[in-house]
Amino acid sequence: MDIQDYIENRIRPCLQGDGGEISFVGRKGTEVTVLLQGECSKCLMLERCLKWIEQRIYEDTGEKVTLCGIRKRPYFQEI
Amino acid sequence: MAHIKVERRSMKQEEYTALRFNRLKKHIYSGTYDIGSFFIREAHQVGENEYEYYDSQSVPLRKGDIYFTPDGTAFITASVTVPAGFEGRDYYLRIKTAAEMIVKVNGRYAGGIDPNRETVLVSPYAENGRLDIEIEAYNRSKPDDERNPEILSVRGCRQVFEGGSLVTVNNAVKSLVYDTLLLTDAAQCGLFGEDYSAFVNAELNKAYNLIDFDDIRNEDVEEASRYIEKNIYGSSTYKGSGRVALVGHSHLDLAYYWRRIHTVQKNLRTVLIQMRLMDKYPDFTYAHTQAYTYETLEKYYPEVFDELKEKIASGRFEVAGAMYVEPDCNIPSAESLIRQCLYGQHYFRQKFGITVDNAWLPDVFGNSWILPQILRKSGVKYFVSNKMSTWNDTNLFPHNNFIWRGIDGSEVYACVPPTHFISWNMPSQIKSNWDSFQDKDTGTETLQMFGYGDGGSGCTEEMIEFMHRFGRLSVMPETRHTTGSEYLKDNFEGNKNLKTWDGELYLEMHRGTFTTKALLKAYNRHLEYLARDAELISVLRMKQGAAYPSEKIKNAYKKLMINQFHDILPGSHITPVYLDALRDYESAEKDLRGVIGEGGRYFNTLNFRRECVTFIPDEASPFIRKGVKGRFVMLDMAPLSCGDIPAPEKAEWFFFENGTAVTPFYKIDFAADGSILSLYDKELSRQWAGENFNKPEVFDDRPGNYDAWDILPDYSERPVEIRTCEKLSLINLDGQCAELCALIKTGGSFWCRIIRLFRSSRGIEVENIVNWQEKHKLAKVRFDCNLLTRELTCDTTAGFIKRETHRNTSWQQARFETCMHNWCDMSETGAGIALINENKYGVSAVDSSFSVSLLRAPIRPDPTSDMGIHDFCYMIYPHGGDFVSAGINRKALEYNIPPVKADVVSDLPDFAPLWLQSVKLSENGKMIVYRLSEQDGRRGTVNPGRPFKKLNMLEDIEGETDLIEYTPFEIITLGEEII
Repeated sequence: MDIQDYIENRIRPCLQGDGGEISFVGRKGTEVTVLLQGECSKCLMLERCLKWIEQRIYEDTGEKVTLCGIRKRPYFQEI
Repeated sequence: MAHIKVERRSMKQEEYTALRFNRLKKHIYSGTYDIGSFFIREAHQVGENEYEYYDSQSVPLRKGDIYFTPDGTAFITASVTVPAGFEGRDYYLRIKTAAEMIVKVNGRYAGGIDPNRETVLVSPYAENGRLDIEIEAYNRSKPDDERNPEILSVRGCRQVFEGGSLVTVNNAVKSLVYDTLLLTDAAQCGLFGEDYSAFVNAELNKAYNLIDFDDIRNEDVEEASRYIEKNIYGSSTYKGSGRVALVGHSHLDLAYYWRRIHTVQKNLRTVLIQMRLMDKYPDFTYAHTQAYTYETLEKYYPEVFDELKEKIASGRFEVAGAMYVEPDCNIPSAESLIRQCLYGQHYFRQKFGITVDNAWLPDVFGNSWILPQILRKSGVKYFVSNKMSTWNDTNLFPHNNFIWRGIDGSEVYACVPPTHFISWNMPSQIKSNWDSFQDKDTGTETLQMFGYGDGGSGCTEEMIEFMHRFGRLSVMPETRHTTGSEYLKDNFEGNKNLKTWDGELYLEMHRGTFTTKALLKAYNRHLEYLARDAELISVLRMKQGAAYPSEKIKNAYKKLMINQFHDILPGSHITPVYLDALRDYESAEKDLRGVIGEGGRYFNTLNFRRECVTFIPDEASPFIRKGVKGRFVMLDMAPLSCGDIPAPEKAEWFFFENGTAVTPFYKIDFAADGSILSLYDKELSRQWAGENFNKPEVFDDRPGNYDAWDILPDYSERPVEIRTCEKLSLINLDGQCAELCALIKTGGSFWCRIIRLFRSSRGIEVENIVNWQEKHKLAKVRFDCNLLTRELTCDTTAGFIKRETHRNTSWQQARFETCMHNWCDMSETGAGIALINENKYGVSAVDSSFSVSLLRAPIRPDPTSDMGIHDFCYMIYPHGGDFVSAGINRKALEYNIPPVKADVVSDLPDFAPLWLQSVKLSENGKMIVYRLSEQDGRRGTVNPGRPFKKLNMLEDIEGETDLIEYTPFEIITLGEEII
């Protein structure tokens, strides 16, 4: 399973379960960019979550990557 | 001279009290023993009590560790030796967390911990000085309420473990903490007056002055408490008024920001917490709803369920709400709402021997006018729902305690409490409730529910402690703690002062829920009628000797019922909830289709003659409707009978050129996008179309925080451009149907609009195949009618409701989007236009124009909401006469219930002119049950030719009759014993 598949099929359902949303944007070398929406977009602990995703990717695919998260927060939600 | 505002910088009394109070709180726990032996195993829940584990075994969990995973469940254990000095005392497990934890000690359920409570009493469960602690924890990303805003700072999928400990409690300090919380709320809320605030602040300051906060000693704390007792509780200088009944309750959303599979644990935690409070406080009672939640408890936690049964039998734990779940009460059909009561009440009767006399629906988004009759005939006298009083955005609903008269004239006692169903029993909330209570002159108390809700959890020790102090606060309204049932009986039964509300209970908010998540609405309607067919055909087969598949049908029905929950069917939930619902629907459809089976001939399941153009699957035909190849045929099938499908017809009947179509009924000028510029009725010699007719419209739709729920009234001020990609052209023609197609584009979405005209029908069908790729858009189709009317009539599935289309008052202005079922109709004397739909519910109307809401695209709570392919049809049906004489309701039933392939023979009466809403085997398996519905507003008699038992909707026998007398909009249930 490549990184995009892994993020979309293994990680995404977990984040959606907390009202979040993640989608794969692109990859340059070991840096993977993801778009975060929903509850993820305003999460105060997003960095911890991204570290967990990196760890899951490493454990399940053997790849060491660094995630770069872009938040897309609805303008009407500032908290 | 410049104005300089004088600001007081020195500390006020109440600020000094607050400062000291924070110090006092730290002394609640007199002894603390840190548990250093926690282990954790992280998992992801994949089903009800099914988990996938991230690790093969548990690992140590230490203070400061990160724990929990997105949508994760954590299993935490610890083995503890009871520390010296704790034996013989009450001691608690204390964990400060944003998660929801179910705590077992030495194999027994001790209680729950969550953001609203950080301790659970564990001393009664110790064995030989040992505590083996097992915790199942679900980390919640969405707080149930904003009572504990500090939790927001730790909200998220991953948490820092703050450690856990065993603690003993200093009850003197704790009691003073409760006193202080209570009194500061009363002083600071401003509702009891400035003088009272000053009085409490001064006296509380004096009480606190008795404590040396450098060295807090119990004697001083007790002295301060005695001071408060004497000088504040003992004072009667400030008098309150009013009567408020306090009912413990926790609203539990079966799915919302969590999946239904998590609600199994949410429910257990809630029930456990409330039962443990009952153990501590002998006077405490609590009301819990939804038969489904009791079912899951019974299924997965039988030992807790046994304990619950004892609490129910003793009257402490109140079974409230007659329904299977708390459904949306706009979109489900009459039969669905009946089944909610039937399945709920039968469960409660079977398990607890009770019939619940109330419908407890605090959070539903408005209530259909058909409900009172259904409730009354399902053993329910009382109706409770909060939203209209607290959430209306325009008008103050004028009653709290009243009589609600339904569409057929049935009446229920209705309670719409003045305040929110989630409260934490503060003096300010109770005072606010009484102040807002609008039916003081009826001599009734007002109802205050207390307890945390949405995600369950319910009442806390703090709320009960407050409650025990209310009687000593002279400034408060008089309060009493009671059950929901007692409150309703005491205040409504025989009360001659109650006013009557005759009409729907429209919620002036959440108007988008008629449309959001279109596929759920489509499945719901489809399965409601598929279940009807499956039951009817199963009865007919049973009469021929086959077994009736009760369990299979009931299981499918229950899936339908569960997904009618008021945060599922309305569309206000996260992505996985939607996916769960789709899986349920697919499974229910498969089961129901399996029940219906296959046959060589088509059977008309309608109890009236089917005389309409119908789409019949046929691989040899060029027409494709909703992905199925077939052809349109004019059927003439007797009621409840098999019929033959006519061979394809050949006829020269249609003309189309330069956008103008001519049929036997109409001459129509089309615009390129498929909207109708002119609809001339050749038969009735009149023009139907106004300026915009069958006109697609898309609007920017940004209601703010309640994205999935709301449509704001100004949406129409922000139209979005619609472009025609391919202008309307003829794509198929045979002897019955002409098919025209246009392609349009809105934003990122493509629409294929297929318009079907018929040789033998006045109906004009429009199929919309949409690749919907939008955010914050509302799609509608508009019909400006060449009519003079001031009302729109809408189907409710158990009769019709007329709503004014003018905007004279704020009441009409607020109803800018309302709910319909199978059809709506705009008529003037002698003629009108009906719009028959398959699965659309939102409709708005102004003057002689109406528009049907087709699709929305909110992004909260589900950022993916409604994206993808949609395929839906509606039928424009101009008619002479009014909608009753034109038989619009029957046309809509024909449209929604196609004939099914099944080789069955019926000897059932057709019960004409009543609608045979349902035929089923009774729940006890001894009768065939017939549900008949009068839908046109008439009265009369039907002679079915043989005697039937008269039943209520719970299938209790109430009499016998061989002549059915019916009144307008009456729903009649009959039984026929199986010989």
